[in-house]
Amino acid sequence: MTVTTPAPPALLHTVGDRALSWLDAHRDHFRLTEADLARGDTLVERLKPIGELAINMRMLFREGVAGGRQRARAGSLLDFAWRELLDGGGVLAMHQHNEPFSPVSLEIYAVFHELGYRHPGLEAALETPRRTATWQALEMAPTRRLGVLNAERRMGLTPSGDFAEALAATWLGRRPEPWTVHLHIAYDITHTVFHLTNWGENPEGIPAPLAEYLELYLPAWAADWAELEHWDLLGELLIVDACLPRPGLDGQLWEPYAAAQAESGAMPVHGRMPQGDPSDVFDIVHHPTLVAAFASAMATSRSLSAGGV
Amino acid sequence: MTDQAQGAAALSAVIADAASEIALALRGEGDPYALSRILRQEDALAPAAVRVLGADALAPYALDGHPGADGAGNADAAMVREALTAFPPTGDTSAVSAWSYHGLVEASRAFLPAHTTRWPSPPEPGDDWLDTEPWPRLSHRVSQLASLALPGLALDLTDRLAGRTEDLARGFVRAVRRRDWHQSAGLGRWLARLPQTPPTLGLDSGLRFVRQMSDDPRVAIHVTAAQRFFGRGR
Repeated sequence: MTVTTPAPPALLHTVGDRALSWLDAHRDHFRLTEADLARGDTLVERLKPIGELAINMRMLFREGVAGGRQRARAGSLLDFAWRELLDGGGVLAMHQHNEPFSPVSLEIYAVFHELGYRHPGLEAALETPRRTATWQALEMAPTRRLGVLNAERRMGLTPSGDFAEALAATWLGRRPEPWTVHLHIAYDITHTVFHLTNWGENPEGIPAPLAEYLELYLPAWAADWAELEHWDLLGELLIVDACLPRPGLDGQLWEPYAAAQAESGAMPVHGRMPQGDPSDVFDIVHHPTLVAAFASAMATSRSLSAGGV
Repeated sequence: MTDQAQGAAALSAVIADAASEIALALRGEGDPYALSRILRQEDALAPAAVRVLGADALAPYALDGHPGADGAGNADAAMVREALTAFPPTGDTSAVSAWSYHGLVEASRAFLPAHTTRWPSPPEPGDDWLDTEPWPRLSHRVSQLASLALPGLALDLTDRLAGRTEDLARGFVRAVRRRDWHQSAGLGRWLARLPQTPPTLGLDSGLRFVRQMSDDPRVAIHVTAAQRFFGRGR
């Protein structure tokens, strides 16, 4: 028996609304500079936030999750990301040309592809590398492997490996002792769930034994990281919670999370908001703020569909 | 240090020494156990130490084939009785303390049956919190009642806690993460006793881990009790 009180839908919703306002107001910070484009290693670093922006905005853009105003804002940010940040996919095609056996372009493109954005040149260029043995042999963390397979599946391509096998290789797939979880394991868990559910779209994508395991132990992890004020990880754990068959949406977690959000709508990574140069601050807080928008939309949707109004 | 702080430090030292002896006895090592051997009856702190240790003061009596040190029963019963008389529950006593008092009375009746007379009969401690407390507070309280997790003791409480096994498993996870070894060990001991503890918790390695990380003798009691009485964490 668990005694918890769910957070009110208005609280869940407000966090995301404010986070989205901040992201919208700071959209220019996502821009790639000439210097970023000139150096491959820097480019990958700078593409990562754009990929995260796309994933999160696609989530908000989905029918029935966000309100009309949020949906329009998310759509405009996606357009901005595709046209202005990625030059209509040209930046991804360029990166793919420079690093043909890197899955980065595929991982980011899959999000846009699902939304109907197309770059036929990139798609054609991905074909040959994907048919090599090296593509399947690329060494990467098991959770990322799951992400690559999911990206292929989303694009309607034949996945380059077995999904169940990839899942079995992840930490979560083996359901080890829950008291051993530390920061990095916790992020592995959240990302495994993101790929299993296609970023919250198919909660039923979590196999029942894993869902039961998460329902049992997630409250313990979330309570601990809430107390440690690790808002970035707490936000990801709240997304996982909202993906579960019986989400807790626990007010005891959501209230401190909402209270940690800055007036501007930005969410600090840990503790309080950092101070300093706006672009440095952006680099630090854009991730937890994207997570806040995502967590809020997922939780609001689950709260309303559960009749918790 | 103030007089009060000095007194508290002295009591902690007495409790720690006694707890080390109890853990040793539970492992089947050392001399035959007698409470009156590990605590000096004339020590002014002995009654308070017995009251704090609760039923664990008599835990080694619960071992199969405990021979009972020669003639120790009388002296041990006298020490327990003194503790029960000196620190009875009052209107201000917390639920945990009332339960622990109750556990000591119950342990005396069970393990020193030849001395059945003159044990107090305290009222049943409050138990509504067992159903209503959210899991973090429940876990904290239940861990403080770990001395009641002894064979034959607190059977009703055990039944009630069985209904909250999952909540206690969560508490164990959080307590280990927070490196609160005392709470971890106390919850681990209860979870060792409960029949439906989830296999995914990894309780056996969890108990071994907690024992390895802590040198607190009361942690040693909890882990050894889980091993000896409930077969977990070996």
